[in-house]
Amino acid sequence: MTFEPRGRSLSDFTVELDVYSGPYEWLLALILKDELEIFEIPLRKLVESYMGARERDPTNGLERDTDFAGSASALVLLKSRTLSPAIDAETEGDEDEPHSPEELAQRLTEYLKIRRAAEQLRERFAANAGYYPSAHTVPPRPGRLRVKPERVSLAARRAFSRLIEPPVRHLGPITVTLQELAGMIRTVLATGPISYEILTRDMDRLNTAVAFAAALSLAQEGSLTLVQTEPLGPLTLEPTA
Amino acid sequence: MSKQEPKPEHLIEAVLLVSATPISPPHLSSATGLSKEEMGAALENLTERYAPETSGIVLRNVAGGYQLSTNPGCSGAVERFREEARAAPLSNAAHEVLACALYLGPVTRGAISRVRGVNSDAVVRNLLERGLLSEVGADHEAPGSPALLSVTDEFLAATGSSSTDEFPPLGSLVTPEELSRVHERLTSAATPPEDSGDTP
Repeated sequence: MTFEPRGRSLSDFTVELDVYSGPYEWLLALILKDELEIFEIPLRKLVESYMGARERDPTNGLERDTDFAGSASALVLLKSRTLSPAIDAETEGDEDEPHSPEELAQRLTEYLKIRRAAEQLRERFAANAGYYPSAHTVPPRPGRLRVKPERVSLAARRAFSRLIEPPVRHLGPITVTLQELAGMIRTVLATGPISYEILTRDMDRLNTAVAFAAALSLAQEGSLTLVQTEPLGPLTLEPTA
Repeated sequence: MSKQEPKPEHLIEAVLLVSATPISPPHLSSATGLSKEEMGAALENLTERYAPETSGIVLRNVAGGYQLSTNPGCSGAVERFREEARAAPLSNAAHEVLACALYLGPVTRGAISRVRGVNSDAVVRNLLERGLLSEVGADHEAPGSPALLSVTDEFLAATGSSSTDEFPPLGSLVTPEELSRVHERLTSAATPPEDSGDTP
């Protein structure tokens, strides 16, 4: 466990434990993400090692001590909460707690057996860790191939039936095209730059929108340049050189 | 060149090759059209052919079925080719939770926590994500019908077991001497020391 020289707080504090080796801050992150079990972290060893590293390099000692004390006390709290007996609604009122030494012995016996079984499982997992099965994965099964004729005819009726035309009487006739307005812009630009406001001053909303689309189209093909010095400011159309 | 009829071994090899999970004998028989006797003889031959001493591929009898896997002796090359490290070993807590599910299962999370004496929800969640545990039902007699947990086929394959019957009985894992020692210590610790008359 070491401090890199001239580090910032605990960012350079590295940890070497049996279950983890690397930056201390990553250790905290792994514990918070449940990637590491808190009760497998020897907190006493962690603190002792920190004290040893601190004595060797007192740079920013107070700041580091404060940070470490804060995070280490959080780890102690987390570990104590994790190790405290589980609270179960079924066992409310300590009904499940062993009352006599015999009951406690029975509970410990059961745990001892599970503990031994866990050790055996560890060995079995380790002995079988190097087997890799075929990487082939079966493609998803196709859907049902048998379809009832009634469902086919229903689907066909829906597919080929004529849709009701939506009413369009409220829409006005289209009186302008993109090509027309692009031609008009080209003509105007032959005399020099023009602002978009002046260009669309006498146009209705439809023509104004189509004129903007035409200007964008011409700018994209390189026929003109759109100049706007500030966001939402006046827009000027300039002919390209 | 005349087309030859595939041998039973060939049929089984082909089907096993395209499966990433163990195939049970009935399923294998159904796919290959082989009788039980033909299957037995062919699997015996294949077990010899795919022995760890003679092949980079081994035939395993795990999770109630047969599966072709790489020889563990070649695992280093496989891992380098796949550019992935072997999965980190499970923690002690994870092994304990799996032991609870294996020997006492199906069990609820609460039952596992009671046996271990600590909250085990985070460990259970991790094992569910790894596919080593699964929820197989619910305890409808308990309040809230908590989920019942059991070990999976992935667990059996990962431990090289064909079924849960292959594991030694729980009672055989601890000797009677150890049990009596535990009992003795606890009962003697609970017995109050005899009054020596020194107390004020």
